[in-house]
Amino acid sequence: MARPTPLPLRRHDEGPVPDAGMLPVLPALRELLPGGLRRGTVVAVGGWGLLCLAVVAGASAAGAWCAAVGLPQLGVAAAAEAGLDPGRLLLVPDAGVRWPQVVASLLDGCELVLLRPPGRPSAQVRARLAATLRRCGGVLVAAGGWEGAQARLLVAGQEWAGIGAGHGRLRARRVQVVADGRGVAARSRTRWLWLPGPDGSVGSADRLTTPAPGMRETG
Amino acid sequence: MTAGEGLPERVLAIWCPGWPDAGRETGTAGNDAGPGGGAAPGAGQRAHRAPEFGQVVSVVEGFCPRVEVLRPGACAIGVRGPARYFGGEAALAAKIIDAVADGGIACRVGIADGLFAACLAARHARGARPPPTVPPVPPAHPGAATLVAPGRARAFLAPFPVSVLNSPGDADLAGLLPRLGIRTLGEFASLPAADVVNRFGAPGVIAHRLARGLDPRPLAPRPPPADLSVSVEFDPPARQAEPVVFAAKALAGRMHDGLAAGGLACVRVRVQAVWEDGREITRLWRHDGLLSALAVAERVRWQLADGPPAQPGPPPVPAPPAASKPAAVQVPAPREAGGRAADGYPGGITLLRLAPDQLVRDQGRQLGLWGDAVVTDRVARAAVRVQAMLGHDAVTRPVLAGGRSPDEQVTLVPYGGGHDRMLPPGGPGRAGEPWPGRIPPPSPATVYPAPLPARITDGSGATVAVSGRGVVSAPPARMSADGAPWLAVTAWAGPWPVTERWWHPHTARRRARFQLVTEDGAAWLVAVQAGRWLIEARYD
Repeated sequence: MARPTPLPLRRHDEGPVPDAGMLPVLPALRELLPGGLRRGTVVAVGGWGLLCLAVVAGASAAGAWCAAVGLPQLGVAAAAEAGLDPGRLLLVPDAGVRWPQVVASLLDGCELVLLRPPGRPSAQVRARLAATLRRCGGVLVAAGGWEGAQARLLVAGQEWAGIGAGHGRLRARRVQVVADGRGVAARSRTRWLWLPGPDGSVGSADRLTTPAPGMRETG
Repeated sequence: MTAGEGLPERVLAIWCPGWPDAGRETGTAGNDAGPGGGAAPGAGQRAHRAPEFGQVVSVVEGFCPRVEVLRPGACAIGVRGPARYFGGEAALAAKIIDAVADGGIACRVGIADGLFAACLAARHARGARPPPTVPPVPPAHPGAATLVAPGRARAFLAPFPVSVLNSPGDADLAGLLPRLGIRTLGEFASLPAADVVNRFGAPGVIAHRLARGLDPRPLAPRPPPADLSVSVEFDPPARQAEPVVFAAKALAGRMHDGLAAGGLACVRVRVQAVWEDGREITRLWRHDGLLSALAVAERVRWQLADGPPAQPGPPPVPAPPAASKPAAVQVPAPREAGGRAADGYPGGITLLRLAPDQLVRDQGRQLGLWGDAVVTDRVARAAVRVQAMLGHDAVTRPVLAGGRSPDEQVTLVPYGGGHDRMLPPGGPGRAGEPWPGRIPPPSPATVYPAPLPARITDGSGATVAVSGRGVVSAPPARMSADGAPWLAVTAWAGPWPVTERWWHPHTARRRARFQLVTEDGAAWLVAVQAGRWLIEARYD
């Protein structure tokens, strides 16, 4: 299994490195996304949630800029706890009908774009954004379906800890995440994660190391 | 008014409500973010886009060629000449309102001594909250104009609260003065100037002069030491906006270098674009030493988006009328008949000139030693391009602030314009300070910009209530979020009562918060306020 390539150390005012093939991910996600986020690809996450933020947090902590489009509800505090650097975050809460152009413009400057498309993106839009991605070497993380995504992540099950009937509070959540995709990532993998852990960070919470049968993606 | 203090020039300010930025002059935008305003500033509606304001500017240019664009939504002209020509200030104001209204845009006009008073007069011309006492002169035009007689600016300004001084340079002053018991501009203006200098320093002097109805700084008329304007010619003429904007960025860089070499900053920058048939468009943009080269280029893009003036004064004349150098060859525009081409301009642009206007000494700006995330050029370019598409407020950067609920812990600040540099670290409340009663981590990933209404009932179907002493009527059993199907509550915690800003009648709130887990595995942060249940956030 390829080790994730860390971003080379850079001066703060230098541009992103276009030819480093991978963007790093959090240690807890390394087995789900082997090698990290491949530049120029789309990662589809089943729905909006902390998992989307966790996917981009590793690269953001390593110095990449991240833009969030169409997500007025993004909880910045949760993002910061997951490891994302709020100082390198741009928010475009409402991109309107021209969201493909907005995403393409942002991909020119930011290495990561978190997107919740307003509807089902057409094949033409997807092809155009794929071309932009290949040119800029960014990564598009789509919350919701995205046909042809190189990697897909899905929350298959969750359980909260720390809260009871009238006592305690939400402390941590164990989440079962299923990953599959194309190419080397084609085999479906399942991992348990703390998403979030007791301090808001994302950690590994593996109980089952072998893929559970019948845990194929359903969406 | 003391002798020796010359009255400022008479200024006519035009303010169009509904533009993204139009509220900033009087600091209302800053105030909204005041005590725990939370994420509110990011949620402004965008009725118009910045480039459309060019339409208004073109109309005003018909009255006075030197229009200063303060920001999209507000512009100003010197009133002395046009008022004499159009038969008085009231007549001029009425004519401008009518002319702008012909374009389908409502505007308000204020005329007063100095830009500050004129802007306030325009904003309070109609509809807006009037100052507590009557204005010195009743509005001359029934529509939307306020005229402040010469020399009466100080009296006009006196009833306004000091928060209107809230411009980037003296943001803390507007917060400090009320705490010292100084609530209106009149009270502030009555302080001796020498004491204001001693206590508040340079920003205080500027604010004090504004409050007294004077120009922010004494007039220091001196000729610019050298011609600092820069220009570029396009041969062949540029038919697309992109190369012009690209050249404008380099040009602005050169202009800034020239200014920096002289230790100067300009208050305004004059952008002149000349088309190959001799038509030209010249416009003034507010600069204040804050705009980057990129921001100047963006102003050029907005100006070009309007195209050349509709009627060329003397249409395609063989010789260029003065402005461009003789070297600029006049080529007949090939696509003139078709009007504006798809994304080009009739003819092409032969000359672009940037000239700094009103030079002042550069006071400098200090970047924070730590903690300033430096925006790279690439990111800045992308953000500005999106702002050009969607408006200034559409791109924001989050600043972690203090607060108890998740929505208060983040303040959204529009990207760029120099304001991100001015931001106090931590915004309205500091993130690091203790906030007793704040929701402990982990934080929710979904924070609803406006809380969703919800219904939460106990086992018998009655709405769950929390008494004034924090006692829950019955354990919550079922929840319905914003009309969604009912879900059984599998776990819950609370109530966590919190009483905030009880001293302030408008922002006070009293809530009891709960965390709930529903049968589908989702976890929610809900609150009950005055008997109504709200969903503040979702842990997903």
